[in-house]
Amino acid sequence: MRDIIKMLVVLTVICTASGFSLALVHDVTREPIEYSRLKFVKEPAVKAVLSGYQNDPIKDRLSIPVGTDKKGKPVKLIVFPAKKDGKTFAVAFESSSAGYHGDVGVMLGVDLNSKKLTGLSIVSHTETPGLGARIIEPNFTDSFKGKPMDKELGVGDINALSGATVSTKGVVAAVNKAQATLDKYRDKMVQ
Amino acid sequence: MSITREFTKGLWEILPPFRLVLGLCPTLAVTTSAENGMGMGLATTFVLVCSNLLVSLLRKIIPSKVRIAAYVVIIASFVVIVELMMQAYAFPLYQALGIFIPLIVVNCIILGRAEAFAGKNGPVASIADGLGVGIGFTISLAVLGAFRELIGSGTVWGNSVFWESFEPFTFMVRAPGAFVALGLFLAAINLISSKLDDRKRRAQS
Repeated sequence: MRDIIKMLVVLTVICTASGFSLALVHDVTREPIEYSRLKFVKEPAVKAVLSGYQNDPIKDRLSIPVGTDKKGKPVKLIVFPAKKDGKTFAVAFESSSAGYHGDVGVMLGVDLNSKKLTGLSIVSHTETPGLGARIIEPNFTDSFKGKPMDKELGVGDINALSGATVSTKGVVAAVNKAQATLDKYRDKMVQ
Repeated sequence: MSITREFTKGLWEILPPFRLVLGLCPTLAVTTSAENGMGMGLATTFVLVCSNLLVSLLRKIIPSKVRIAAYVVIIASFVVIVELMMQAYAFPLYQALGIFIPLIVVNCIILGRAEAFAGKNGPVASIADGLGVGIGFTISLAVLGAFRELIGSGTVWGNSVFWESFEPFTFMVRAPGAFVALGLFLAAINLISSKLDDRKRRAQS
């Protein structure tokens, strides 16, 4: 009987100690983990669409609550500001829209003064290889550079891909959706 | 046995993957480059040293009937710590090693050392033992990784070393190449150790 109690007590104590120390480590590493996830997953896309900044856009990121999803959980828009001399002159954020097969996620950079796109890069897609998947090619994405963000973009304004009309429209729709987001949250992005 | 002896035995006598042929899952899976092998080895060493220390400190408190359960809890806790730390401060390595970091929990070298050594010896000797076995494991993985990387992708530590038209033998960085490389290393190690044994026997007679 004493043996059993000793076993119970020792195992319980060890497991509790383990639980507490893991909770502690988890708390300490939560911030750096979030940072390095964004740094290695998002930074290449952010670098592709923004240039001439002096800050670390990943470190200065802003989370803007933009409503709730179907389950009632808050959805946050992560905005990466590009700063020069401490002032935000451009922002990068993600947008998405339906392509030919699933959603196309794009990262776009917007110059806040001239309200023009500084760049666009595709961060996720499941389009058809060889056809719709050509949306990742620089030939296509570069044609968004310098397009105005204050009036609706049409397929004719950019270097549309022949044979991939639906995918092209998907990317354009994502940009137009981003325009609405920008109009709505512009003040919060400049903070 | 002295502390130095406890340390050095891990480097040759009980060198985990080549002499004991233990811990082969990570040995085969992550040694596609020297860097990956080294990272895996260092993560394992950290877990091994920490779990050896804790097991040897608690060896008189843990009842022998539940010792394996207690060891596994201790080892698993350190593995999760390594995993979180690696995600926070060495993300590219974490991405490269992937599932094999959590799988350190079931690495038989660690449970083996806890059961065979740390559960019976004092903390200082246990740390020396853990360090020796861990460093032996790290060197083995790094050397195996460097060998496969050199032949399979023509690079050393990520730097290209061959002439431009060199066509890398990509078979070596794929899964079957791991078995071939391990076999070659085992053969070489066996040859060396049998030569050493011969010499020792001749010296005695």
